[in-house]
Amino acid sequence: MRKVRIFIITIITFSLVLSMLTPLVWAGEEFKITATEFLEHKKMFDDPRPYLKTLTYKKVLPPEVYAKMTYDVEAMKKLWSEVVGFKAPDVVGKIAPEIKPGTYSYKDKGKYPGLKELMIPLHYDMFFKPGGPPFAGNFPEIKVVPTRQYYWALPVAKATKEHMGRTQLDDQGIIKEETYVAGLPFPRPSGKFKASQVVYNWIKTPFGWDNVYSTSINKGFTRTLRIDIDMLADIMQIRLKGRTLIEPYGWYDDRAKTLGEQVAFNFFYLAPRDMYGNVMHSISYLDPDKFDLMMVYISALRRVRRMSTTDVQDAIGGADYIYADNNGFGQKLSHTIFPYKNEVIAEREYLIPTGTWDGSEYMSSEGYEIHNYQFERRPVYVVKMNQLDKHFVYTYRIVHFDKETGILRHIENYDRKGRLYRSVRGIRPFIPEMGMFGFGMGLGYDHLDLHTSFTQGFTIPAPWVSRSDVGLRGLVVKGK
Amino acid sequence: MEKKKLCIVLGIMAIVVLMVSPAMAKQFTVGGKTLNLFGYVTQGAAFSLHNKDYYDTERDIHAALMNLFLEFDYTFTDNLKLYAASMLTVDWIYELKHDDKSWTDKKFFKSRDELFVDDEYWQLLKEIHLSWTPGNCYFRVGKQIVSWGEMIGFRLMDQINPLDTRRGMADVEFETTIIPIWLIRAEYYPQITTGWLQDVGLEFIFNPNADFIPNQMLMGNDEAGIWSPNIVAPLGPGREAYIGSSNMNIKEPQEWDDEGYEYAFRIKSVVKDAIITLNYFYGRDNAPVMRPDMTALPRFEVAPDSNRILHSTMEGRYPLFRFAGATFSRDLPFMRSSALGDVAPLILLETFYAFDNTFATSLNTFKKLDELRWALGIDWKVRIDLLNPRTYFMISPQFYHQKILNYPHDYEIANLEDDNYTTTLMINTSYFHNKLVPSFFWMHDLNNKADMFRLQLVYDYSYKWHFTLGTVLLDGREKNKGFDVFENKDYLYFKISYKWG
Repeated sequence: MRKVRIFIITIITFSLVLSMLTPLVWAGEEFKITATEFLEHKKMFDDPRPYLKTLTYKKVLPPEVYAKMTYDVEAMKKLWSEVVGFKAPDVVGKIAPEIKPGTYSYKDKGKYPGLKELMIPLHYDMFFKPGGPPFAGNFPEIKVVPTRQYYWALPVAKATKEHMGRTQLDDQGIIKEETYVAGLPFPRPSGKFKASQVVYNWIKTPFGWDNVYSTSINKGFTRTLRIDIDMLADIMQIRLKGRTLIEPYGWYDDRAKTLGEQVAFNFFYLAPRDMYGNVMHSISYLDPDKFDLMMVYISALRRVRRMSTTDVQDAIGGADYIYADNNGFGQKLSHTIFPYKNEVIAEREYLIPTGTWDGSEYMSSEGYEIHNYQFERRPVYVVKMNQLDKHFVYTYRIVHFDKETGILRHIENYDRKGRLYRSVRGIRPFIPEMGMFGFGMGLGYDHLDLHTSFTQGFTIPAPWVSRSDVGLRGLVVKGK
Repeated sequence: MEKKKLCIVLGIMAIVVLMVSPAMAKQFTVGGKTLNLFGYVTQGAAFSLHNKDYYDTERDIHAALMNLFLEFDYTFTDNLKLYAASMLTVDWIYELKHDDKSWTDKKFFKSRDELFVDDEYWQLLKEIHLSWTPGNCYFRVGKQIVSWGEMIGFRLMDQINPLDTRRGMADVEFETTIIPIWLIRAEYYPQITTGWLQDVGLEFIFNPNADFIPNQMLMGNDEAGIWSPNIVAPLGPGREAYIGSSNMNIKEPQEWDDEGYEYAFRIKSVVKDAIITLNYFYGRDNAPVMRPDMTALPRFEVAPDSNRILHSTMEGRYPLFRFAGATFSRDLPFMRSSALGDVAPLILLETFYAFDNTFATSLNTFKKLDELRWALGIDWKVRIDLLNPRTYFMISPQFYHQKILNYPHDYEIANLEDDNYTTTLMINTSYFHNKLVPSFFWMHDLNNKADMFRLQLVYDYSYKWHFTLGTVLLDGREKNKGFDVFENKDYLYFKISYKWG
């Protein structure tokens, strides 16, 4: 026992010495925002503070990183409008022009019938009303703001312009990966596979920088609006091909090129207690007919376990998403793996929650309503993705993609009986000087089990995130 | 002493209750660094399913186990983290049955010292370790768990940490069964990549034998309590005796003695989307090899049914245990079936060859023999719309084979044949948005024709409150072997858990 005591003292001493030494050796390498730090600026409920005004990237990032990640705003605006061929403010205002910027209540539905015409039906019918069961996230009023021009970071815009017209699809609408280099692959979708091109603009989206660190805070609500999930998770992600923002550009490394890897991420749980120490790792491949590689560190077993790469249809941990719903739509288009036949069913403007520039939107603890909710007229592609595998969990998806940026704005997924099963809507912060969208606020719904997932988070560009963080080592290091 | 122990228990519980409130956050900032704090408290109760008054069990409630668990991690720097976990385990049955005649007559009360409160330092301090993760390296020093292998439910490659099986074989928290020990762990991930090798890591474990902690197994009602195996020894024609506790004369390595050093090395890799490991272990078996000391006179007591209770003296040691092995796991996408939900099965394989293992024999001697163990498991998620249209079923069968090489023909190895087979089957799914999780577990010992079944239903009211109801059924057809020794212990259990953080 005495020797064990010596052992413990040695560990503590070792720990103190290292804690004094390591900042000297490794300081400045890692920077991130933890959930606690985020919550200091924006609580989950009843907090209208505009956190993007206080938790600014200029404050969060080291100066040299911030300098590298910011560009001339006017140059970005000009170049992006050249690339896509329009500016959003110039192409909206045609439908229900009487709906001007201002605040509208659900009580105004009768007074302003144009709202119905202008809003996504699900938003208008199911959520534009006072809060109450069975779902969290209703909004009794909206703030219609003038349409703004959105654009991507200058290197993304340059790459998109440089490679415009080069990315090709095969005769089934599947990308010929060797023809894609970087940027948005189809800034001006057109032709026979226009719908697939729109989908590829999301699959290859520049959203979220090339290396990122994100923290997310999640609450789950039952049909009676009782909170049944309280989850914290952090994510590290690396884009492995088509990099334009963070060095190395192009391919991340030889391995990515050799093995045809697209994106790698580690998703690690910090709470609740049952999930604490679990880490999930995924690498997606460029080969359209190859499943992702998935591994998980299970804290209860203290082991890394292989997951079946095909396990993409089961809800994750009681939430309202499946793996194939990652980021709204997390699949790739494929000849053999749950193939889709895509069609653009509408190309029009919608009044939708788009980007927040100040972060003042919030959820109330009474009725779990969203307030300060900014809606914007946006030009949108509505794509119906018809699933050709009759056994897949969804028969079709209705996806709303922003025409100007390619960002997924809203998705509805219908089950094999044609019932609305899950939907997602989100509002993402836009950082004008970076030409980039951040994490923001998301709502996921299970319309059959009547369950809601509410997520808030913060993403930063993180050049320090490397293969050693996102891989086998990352699983073990971040695991319990 | 008992009063003091009880006061300590109640004192700790009071502190925790005061500390923990529903508003308590899971993450704090302390000194500018992140502190994560978690914990849970569980209270369970187990009831015998047998009405007959067996010597080795009680007819009604026979366990009231409480676990109070606290854990935290504190991040000193981006690559330096301290983790600690402590647990208080109390079985209130010793208070509830304090004056119970049957409990006393069957000698269960005598096991109070062993099982009322887990008060050894290594039981209270489950884990404490420091992790340092510079560059591509990873170091962890302290009391910790290192788990190898792929199988769940039985241990093949997973031989580094000892086990505490004193409180039964089902419905126990993970933290109560694996015993963390003092280890130094070093890993290096060289980031080598070829066309076929996607990731690789080298792992080295050293056990400096700071404190020798073996598997925790007890015998006899007077020490093992309700989970004492019911072994009956012949005492002559028509006469039998229950096996009670033994005087254990088991030689174990002294603290820090190099006889107790252990070394383990593993290469972990991802090769063509499969996880492959190569493993080597040199150390001590966590279970002793032992035999009756024929020079010591046995001691007898009288059981309430007038049978004798035999207390013998056992002698033995913790023998060397050396093995080299490998594991393999990957899915088989070509086997995915749309009709079954499109999820390909995962195949899990592990095997090792152990050199010169020491076994006790029926001649009351020790014998060194090589052995081969291998196990194959499959994890297959399937959709059965008729039973559950929303969530998949996880079906996990496992097969385990232990082969003793050069098995003797003229005598037996204790409790083992030359080929020993075990199978398990686990099935679970969930309903009502993951709120209700039913599961079924079956373990079958082919050699001893013995079975264990566990049916369990977990209701997750929220991320804080969890309720568990289950039953364990045990059966064996070979006397004194396999689950036959637990045949009278079928029970129903209920547990309520509150988790925070």
